[in-house]
Amino acid sequence: MSGESAEEKKGTHFQRVAALKETRPYSPCRAACPVNTDVQAYVGFIAQGRYTDAFEVIRSVNPIASVCSMICHHPCEQSCRRCSVDEPLAVRPLKRFALEKSSEYRRNKRRLVEKTKGKSIGVIGSGPAGLTAVNDLADLGYKVTIYERHPVLGGMLAAAIPPYRLPREALKEDIDDVVAKGVEVKTNCEIGRDISLKEIIANHDAVLLAVGLSSSRSLNIPGVEGPGVLLAIPFLEDVAFDRKPDLGKKVLVIGGGNVAMDVARSARRLGVANVEMVCLESAEEMPAWKWEVDEAVEEGITISHRWGPKAVRREGDKVKGLEVVKVTQVFDTNGRFSPTFDNNQTKLLEADTIIITIGQMANVGFLKDSAVQVDDRGRVAWDPKTQMSSAKGVFVSGEVVTGPGSAIAAAASGHKSAMAIHLYLQGEQIEDHLPSYEKEKIPQMPPDVIEKINREPRMPIKHLPPETRCNSFASFEFSYDEETALKEAGRCRGCGGGAVVDKNKCMACLTCQRVCPYGAPVVTSYSEIRPEFCQACGLCAPECPGQAISMVSYDVREVRDTMKEIVGPLDASRSEPLVVAFLCSHHLGVLGYRLPENVRTVPVHCTSRVDVNDILKAVECGADGVAVVQCAGGSCKYKGIGQRVAARVERARQLVAMLGMGAGRVELLTADSSDGKSYATVCNDFSGRIMELGLRKR
Amino acid sequence: MIIGSQKPIDEIWGMVKDFHKVLVFGCNTCVAICHAGGEKEAETIATLLRMRASQEGKEMTVDFSSVMRHCEPEYFVPVMDDLKKYDLILSTACGVGVNFLSDRTGTIPVYPGINTSFYGAVESPGDFVELCAGCGNCILHLTGGICPIARCSKTLMNGPCGGTNKGKCEVSKDIDCAWYLIVERMKKLGTLEKLAEIQPARNWSTSRDGGPRRVSLEHIRAYEEQEEKKTESEGGKK
Repeated sequence: MSGESAEEKKGTHFQRVAALKETRPYSPCRAACPVNTDVQAYVGFIAQGRYTDAFEVIRSVNPIASVCSMICHHPCEQSCRRCSVDEPLAVRPLKRFALEKSSEYRRNKRRLVEKTKGKSIGVIGSGPAGLTAVNDLADLGYKVTIYERHPVLGGMLAAAIPPYRLPREALKEDIDDVVAKGVEVKTNCEIGRDISLKEIIANHDAVLLAVGLSSSRSLNIPGVEGPGVLLAIPFLEDVAFDRKPDLGKKVLVIGGGNVAMDVARSARRLGVANVEMVCLESAEEMPAWKWEVDEAVEEGITISHRWGPKAVRREGDKVKGLEVVKVTQVFDTNGRFSPTFDNNQTKLLEADTIIITIGQMANVGFLKDSAVQVDDRGRVAWDPKTQMSSAKGVFVSGEVVTGPGSAIAAAASGHKSAMAIHLYLQGEQIEDHLPSYEKEKIPQMPPDVIEKINREPRMPIKHLPPETRCNSFASFEFSYDEETALKEAGRCRGCGGGAVVDKNKCMACLTCQRVCPYGAPVVTSYSEIRPEFCQACGLCAPECPGQAISMVSYDVREVRDTMKEIVGPLDASRSEPLVVAFLCSHHLGVLGYRLPENVRTVPVHCTSRVDVNDILKAVECGADGVAVVQCAGGSCKYKGIGQRVAARVERARQLVAMLGMGAGRVELLTADSSDGKSYATVCNDFSGRIMELGLRKR
Repeated sequence: MIIGSQKPIDEIWGMVKDFHKVLVFGCNTCVAICHAGGEKEAETIATLLRMRASQEGKEMTVDFSSVMRHCEPEYFVPVMDDLKKYDLILSTACGVGVNFLSDRTGTIPVYPGINTSFYGAVESPGDFVELCAGCGNCILHLTGGICPIARCSKTLMNGPCGGTNKGKCEVSKDIDCAWYLIVERMKKLGTLEKLAEIQPARNWSTSRDGGPRRVSLEHIRAYEEQEEKKTESEGGKK
């Protein structure tokens, strides 16, 4: 049986095609995000000026949203399809913009969550993993207590990430969200010192260890013991809590990762003019993010590549420098870390202070003699399928078990652990019931499609100049202003919202294949719209004679179900015509954009998605006039759609004329998207023409 | 495939205006492909009828739905209970579908929502052309694959006639002369000499002259009839 019977038609279009939409792969940005944040949904809201809606999308999956808006390594951007066209969408800065714009809304939303479950959970550690788990468990109605050894919540976010990268006000927003749910907080509470693990286990129905990697690794080289040689984490803790260590005139940082960057750039901000980094890797091999390296170099930090530490040289007690040896190879032919050295090439790098930043490890001494087993390499034994340690009811989350990674990856781990604890406490099976963030993503675009895509430069992000920013630990990155943010949001092509085909309704008529400008549909016994080709313009869906094609987002057919509400109640005494306008959602937020009050808007991803039946529905629901407002030539995301849209509007005009209403009640208007006011102008002019036709009598 | 074309809304309104619960029932095969009667067009017609009813101040419910084909019972029998909730079904299938469905809906009338035009092909998107008349006795092998029954205005078996004019038919300059096309095609195929053979007067008995036609396949019917008898003896289905 194919097609939809009247019976099957029950419910809204949205409900009917929900399962079909699930079959389409995620946009690359969403799939790359460790918590699958629906990037395109919130960017779409930003483009429409709907900032609190954007906040809701972000916060629904990410309890450390503000933190991520400042420090996330944004795999979403690295995987953006725009990378192969021009530059990726500036997702992280847009997230920051949306969160800052909705901060008041966010604060007003904070509420105590009722404890309905009657069970309590102790969470040890309040970094990204712990905080996320606490958030989820509090939402589920559990009583939660956080144990944090530092004086403030946030784990490494508060105690190690330097404030120039993560302003503490941003972190506070995330923490306040969680604490407001009614969570007991025990800071300055170190397990093994202030309370025993046994006691915590006895006090709670379940326990989560989210203690991260809080110890720095050191080097086993001569001279390393003694004053003037510091480890990264204690140094960063000093910075975080404003204890200014004396570093002398020259600092040498050993390491080439992101923490080494934090250390070097913090030393620079403590007033040390001469900061040098030394690492085993070449510039290309360095694990630090390229932008971190670039910014450090801008700040006057020098990097000696491919030198390995051999010995700390001292004059008496005082550090003189680091003797280094030339590296000949970092990775072996299998890509494994296996450095080799040329002992004939050595030199001395002078320094007053040396900071070792070669990696972190877990500090799990407090687990000794407990029911939680630790292997001989100091790793907590756990089962990733249940998130449980060897002790029943004691779960583990975050970097302590996953190894070093990003904050958002730790948050993903926190989500899983929270779900594991919930299932455990409800006596349900954990295995196979934890959320998975491994999703199929849309493949990269083929070259001939890339050529058809408009180039739109990424909006630059302003920074304080290096000479100013090194004077303090204040954040040096400026947020987008509204105009820039809206422009940047408009660059998103919404690839994740593309077309899906209901095979049961497709009669393989070839229409979609004929109309698609990008060659996405391939019709055999049914149409298959290849997501790597699809640009989500939506030109195909309104042309499909069987209505077999739906769009994953901004599906205008969903609007037909709600058109009555959009049009609103009909006022017989109105003096102005009631106009329904279908407008490109990517220009709804442009500055200066404000439509007259008599215009009801329907945001569409592109006017190419508007069908004759959408227009007719608006007329049926009482609109005196219906306008499809297309963007002027150059500003449209898609090429060559105008004539098809014009043809549909013309057809709707003919049909309306057949009912004796006057074709003029439906029009195709063109606005200049670089001039927000032009939308109001064209709509006003249209309203004037409708007035001449007269208001409809109902 | 079968090509359909839309009826003016006034004509449809004339058919449905005295009913209260109308289903515009689309057919998602031939007539959908030619953008006449698929689900999309069924929705358009339903919307237009609701608007017209409102204009005329008539209380009328007009819904739409569709199935893949109206000409095979398996497609619509599963939704028969739904169909019977209406007091009129406006089928946007071809005439075959309208006939076939109306034989099976008992007291509920099935009216045509479109005109059935011809058997045709999609020459280019939105452009459909008649190429076969369904006469029941195919002679395309004699005419280079171009049918004079469907494509010659006079259905001549030996053409062209004197009305041919620079490749066009005297009926209209927009109509190609089928016999001109046949001659050119046969030249290209190197079989022009076959046209020297005079075709006898056509036997129309396979066409409309014997009343409605039926094709019955013995090898399939033998089994099916047994099954049908069995079902009837068990309580009947029709």
